Amino acid sequence: MNELIAVSIGLFAGTITGIVPGAGVLVAMIIATPLLMEFDVVQLLLFYMSLASMVQFTGTIPAVYLGIPGETNSLPAVVEGMKFTKRGKAKLAIGISALGSVVGSLMAVIITFLLISVLIGHVSVFFANTLKFYLYLAVIIFCLTVYNRGNILLNMLLCVFGFLLSMPGESDITQGFRYTFGIDDLEFGFPLITVLIGLLIVPTVFSMLKYDIKRNLDSDGAISFKYTVSYFIRKCMPSSLRGSVIGYLCGFVPGVSTVLATNTSYSIEKRMGKKTPSRLLVASETANNSGQFASMLPLLLIGIPITGSEVVLYSLLVDAGWSPFQFERVHINAEMIYKTIVPWFVFANAVALLVAWPLARKTLAILSLPRQYMVAVLAVGMLLLNSYLGYIDYRFWFYSACLVVFGIVGYLLRKHETIPLIFMFILGNEIEGVFFRQWFI
Amino acid sequence: MVYIGETMKKIVIMAMLCVFATSTLAESITILNNGKVGGSYHARSQMYKEGLESRGYTVNFENIGKIGQAVKVFKETDEPIIMVYSTNQVYNQDLFHTKDNLVLLEYEQPMWICKTFDSVGKTDKITVAHGKGYDTDIIKKALGTNIILVPYKNSSAILNGILAGDVDAAVNNQGKSLQYSASGQGVCEESDVLPVMQATVIGKNVDTRSMREVLLSIINDKKFVDYHSSRQLKRSTATLEEELDRIQQKTINWEVNK
Repeated sequence: MNELIAVSIGLFAGTITGIVPGAGVLVAMIIATPLLMEFDVVQLLLFYMSLASMVQFTGTIPAVYLGIPGETNSLPAVVEGMKFTKRGKAKLAIGISALGSVVGSLMAVIITFLLISVLIGHVSVFFANTLKFYLYLAVIIFCLTVYNRGNILLNMLLCVFGFLLSMPGESDITQGFRYTFGIDDLEFGFPLITVLIGLLIVPTVFSMLKYDIKRNLDSDGAISFKYTVSYFIRKCMPSSLRGSVIGYLCGFVPGVSTVLATNTSYSIEKRMGKKTPSRLLVASETANNSGQFASMLPLLLIGIPITGSEVVLYSLLVDAGWSPFQFERVHINAEMIYKTIVPWFVFANAVALLVAWPLARKTLAILSLPRQYMVAVLAVGMLLLNSYLGYIDYRFWFYSACLVVFGIVGYLLRKHETIPLIFMFILGNEIEGVFFRQWFI
Repeated sequence: MVYIGETMKKIVIMAMLCVFATSTLAESITILNNGKVGGSYHARSQMYKEGLESRGYTVNFENIGKIGQAVKVFKETDEPIIMVYSTNQVYNQDLFHTKDNLVLLEYEQPMWICKTFDSVGKTDKITVAHGKGYDTDIIKKALGTNIILVPYKNSSAILNGILAGDVDAAVNNQGKSLQYSASGQGVCEESDVLPVMQATVIGKNVDTRSMREVLLSIINDKKFVDYHSSRQLKRSTATLEEELDRIQQKTINWEVNK
């Protein structure tokens, strides 16, 4: 029953944050923090898995119907989905995307099953500093080149700012506290959730206010389920299978896993000359889901979070009793994946298929709720959340002051993607330690 | 009637005594957990919590997870509180063992030096993993000056580093060193040069002597005995005064770059 509750809440949260432009898994994790603090380890993993899966499905709906990305990986869906919508075939695009997502998820499970013994056999490789060094180097390069339309100078400034924010407090390589400027509360660094509220939720709120959902909804023609399934099998299956494999491999790249999965699959499909919108759409949406499952494996198997939302999940898991950094736990973790996570993963995909295909238009109605009220509720909720976390962390006033400061910074940066900043803030200490050690090794 | 009245009186007195005794037993205490899951601080805090609860205490388990923050709370609180602690932290945290706060010296363990099989016999530029807070001069005293020191965050990270092949050798605690030996990738031995780590329990706003008696009985519970024996940890059998004396003598060795 507890597992069903966790999955249901994850699916519900995923439906909403997948639809709302600019929101995503990380935003949902932050909003749900007080609830998640009451969950046990398995519930947390199931919640996250359901949330992340559902977001990949529902993110396609506003992309296709409205031409706006519901989540950060939906950009190919915007470009290709709108071509269907303009011809009154949005339902077909939604249907084949949802089917592709299911194929991607199931393929990821199968590939994992085939590779799990290889992964376990070479698990010590994942702990090597050299591997981490190259992975983090890749993260930095992606942060510099992928976001904000490849504006390297802007991305570099964001990365440097994020890194500077990560420095006060305890370091991974030196003893004692640093850069506290005489402020006792800085000994434990800037609070993660507060920084995320300021730099992620605030810009998201402004994204919510700017979109118009009226257009395109009326031009949707009737297309049967049978036709959609037949169309998918005849025309999209090879692209879907290719997307699954490409997405799975890209899913392991830290920081950008699903974004990379979607865009790589999309680009490869294009270069192969498969320029029909259906194939491009399905290839990217399949890779999205496959990559999402793969990105969870380093965390599930060996306790290394590789995406921003996984970092938040990781800190919650540790507080709930998770003990990841142990070689001897790898087999136990692998067993848990197949006995507990995968059955619920299949269930979550079945529900997501319903929500993102037959119920797609109804799901989209969430956006027609008065947005002023949604924003007001979100703002009050974030204020309460921040105050609560500050109180239990014995740093109430510091949390409050940080919320004001980072809220202002978030507002100023509202027109830019703040992901490079957030990544460097979250991973800065770890990256510093890995690079420092690599110098000696 | 007189007889019944006296009986009633006895019953009432007995009942009051029971209530009083129960309220005395149901003493409240806070345990500050200053360690992460998987680490010894967390495991020990958890076992003390369970032991105290099974002995009638109402335990408030403050899950702080960071030693620095826990020490800050410990210093500022007015509540009855206990916290697991160790001598390798005292200089970093500026919180020393005294007759007012020492409750128990739970065990002592030497530091260990582990080497990979590939590096046995290597004499030049040996890379050595160590905890970020260790005194590098003492490590050089133990392993020679021709070494390259590679700092890691904690004992688990050191273990992962040497298992993954990052370094030739590692200075680590007893539990993690035994795990490394068990992996079959190298050899470990106790160091007689590096300082001995003493694991303690400290308290504030509690009667340290009566709390000590309770905790001594808890560390004789099966779970605690198994924990100590599986890690080959040497438990103390001295008096409180002797323990304090020993701690204060050996703590000085943890002063970094003194």
